[in-house]
Amino acid sequence: MGRLFVVNLEGKIYSCKHCKTHLATYEDIISKSFHCKHGKAYLFNKVANVSIGETEERLMMTGKHTVADIFCVSCGSIVGWRYETAHEKNQKYKEGKSVLERLYFQHIRTSVSRTPGLILKLLSQI
Amino acid sequence: MGVVEDTEPPLKRAKRLTDEPNGFSANSSVRGSSVNNNSLGDLMARPLTSQGDEETIGSKGVIKKSEFIRIITRALYSLGYDKTGAMLEEESGISLHNSTIKLFLQQVTDGKWDQSVKTLHRIGLPDEKAVKSASFLLLEQKFLELLKVENIADALGTLRNEMAPLRINTKRVHELASSLISPSSFISHTTSTPGKESVNSRSKVLEELQNLLPASVIIPEKRLEYLVENSLHIQRDSCVFHNTLDSDLSLYSDHQCGKHQIPSQTLQILESHTDEVWFLQFSHNGKYLASSSKDQTAIIWEISVDGHISLKHTLVGHQKPVIAILWSPDDRQVLTCGAEEVIRRWDVDSGDCVHMYEKGGISPISCGWYPDGQGIIAGMTDRSICMWDLDGRELECWKGQRTQKVSDIAMTDDGKWLVSVCKDSVISLFDREATVERLIEEEEMITSFSLSNDNKYILVNLLNQEIRLWNIEGDPKIVSRYKGHKRSRFIIRSCFGGYKQAFVASGSEDSQVYIWHRSTGKLIVELPGHAGAVNCVSWSPTNLHMLASASDDGTIRIWGLDRINQQNQKKHVHGSSSNGVIHRCNGN
Repeated sequence: MGRLFVVNLEGKIYSCKHCKTHLATYEDIISKSFHCKHGKAYLFNKVANVSIGETEERLMMTGKHTVADIFCVSCGSIVGWRYETAHEKNQKYKEGKSVLERLYFQHIRTSVSRTPGLILKLLSQI
Repeated sequence: MGVVEDTEPPLKRAKRLTDEPNGFSANSSVRGSSVNNNSLGDLMARPLTSQGDEETIGSKGVIKKSEFIRIITRALYSLGYDKTGAMLEEESGISLHNSTIKLFLQQVTDGKWDQSVKTLHRIGLPDEKAVKSASFLLLEQKFLELLKVENIADALGTLRNEMAPLRINTKRVHELASSLISPSSFISHTTSTPGKESVNSRSKVLEELQNLLPASVIIPEKRLEYLVENSLHIQRDSCVFHNTLDSDLSLYSDHQCGKHQIPSQTLQILESHTDEVWFLQFSHNGKYLASSSKDQTAIIWEISVDGHISLKHTLVGHQKPVIAILWSPDDRQVLTCGAEEVIRRWDVDSGDCVHMYEKGGISPISCGWYPDGQGIIAGMTDRSICMWDLDGRELECWKGQRTQKVSDIAMTDDGKWLVSVCKDSVISLFDREATVERLIEEEEMITSFSLSNDNKYILVNLLNQEIRLWNIEGDPKIVSRYKGHKRSRFIIRSCFGGYKQAFVASGSEDSQVYIWHRSTGKLIVELPGHAGAVNCVSWSPTNLHMLASASDDGTIRIWGLDRINQQNQKKHVHGSSSNGVIHRCNGN
């Protein structure tokens, strides 16, 4: 594969379990109570470093939706899905948003070393 | 109407005889109209034009016959065909200039100023101001000539009695008056070579008279040439596929390059790399091609005169994939950048690595040359921008400029702007002298960019598969958008190319090369052939028809003109009408 274009996120980051590519940040979580057949999933406002598959109609617990699977750009493994359109009015808020399945991502901290000084200071005060 | 018909045919035949040696493009319309005018039906269809006092020729009825003949006559005289010019005036019965004007022009050429002023008034121009300005001009020349022969008294008389009463251009009158005091210094100041000078200044007077008096009175010189050139320019500018040199424009048929002037056939496949090829670039002089690959090497290729490409040097030394290779302004050296590794400088002739640039703890992910070739810039992994001189001494280091690790950096080749991606969707144009910054604010994340040769435009590749063209003269403005190619995971590069950089080419993740027409944004060709994503394209700066592409399939393809179809097009042209849509291509 060519030279990957990978975006770096900051803050509390969720990354791909296989290759640790940054996928989303804590700030972008809309809801933590989504479900899929593999277990829990989080709905995010936006995600990074994913490529989109084919759109298809899927019947989910909340109704019929047009969704597309999303994959990590780096390793290609599936990480969740994106809502393209929702057919029911009360589900419209999901349009354009993405879901990452808990099974496929892990929580890591930012690599920007702004915080060590602060942590040391706090630790010294304990 | 009957009268018109009777006199037309011999006229048309005569005109064709005089036209053919000069081969004007008007030929086809003349032939066409001679057929038209001879049919009664056609005359009936255009009652208005034939009823007017001006006969018209041409299929659209906008060309006035007397004007047409007069500019042809003028052109004949300019080209030196005086006899033919006179014959045309006689045969057509339309003289270039009426007798008064002829007399006037002759008098000016002979320097009979007083008479010429009188004749000028006899011409009967409606514009008072023009008459006055022209008189002033003639009298001024009279004054200057009198001054030259040191006839001060008469010169003064002219100035006082003839020029001043006109009450125009008083500043010049004062200037001339002061020149009376020191005539010799004034003359030496204003004249060039003695002897020829009187002739030169008189023809200059004629030129200026041409500008002052209306064009219908004195037919401007070179009017016909000007009209033909205009027409060629319009044809060339409206030719979407135009990719030939100006010298190939012809008057014989409307110019339109077919798609066969765009490189669209693979001429050569270069297979020396052993892994994905990520970057390539032609040298400024078009004699070399440099490519860099995931196989940790870079290759310098040599291009022979007939366009054949062969390997010159393989640059071995990097321990990581080589993400870019850039030519120095004089094409004698190249810079290579190893992915998060080091920057190496190589000599093109020997293929040896001359220097290595690195900084402890951080590594470069993009690089560029100073426009004078005496320094190097690099975008580093800690988001700073570093600048070194050739020996590796750090010149400057700017911290915290960029928010993304992976981003391009470049310096315009006039040394003015440092261009870098500073935020996800913002490109910073930093003026190094004035230390001002201009920003290109995009709506989507930027993956790569490339600058045009003239430093006035930048192509920005976005995350959402769009390429946008921005004008960076003054405040950045978006100019065009190009869509159609695929990009979802990789850094795909695009470039300018072709005649006057009128095309935009790009790689794509669907393994094709895409080429758009730059000003209209229209997709012209998609070139399949590669077996993997096309990461980078480069168009030769010297060969309008050579394009190179680098792909994940490990090969480089050289694209050129479709030779077979070109031959067919040529055969097609010979069989078609002279007004054909297909242009006879340059003779290769």
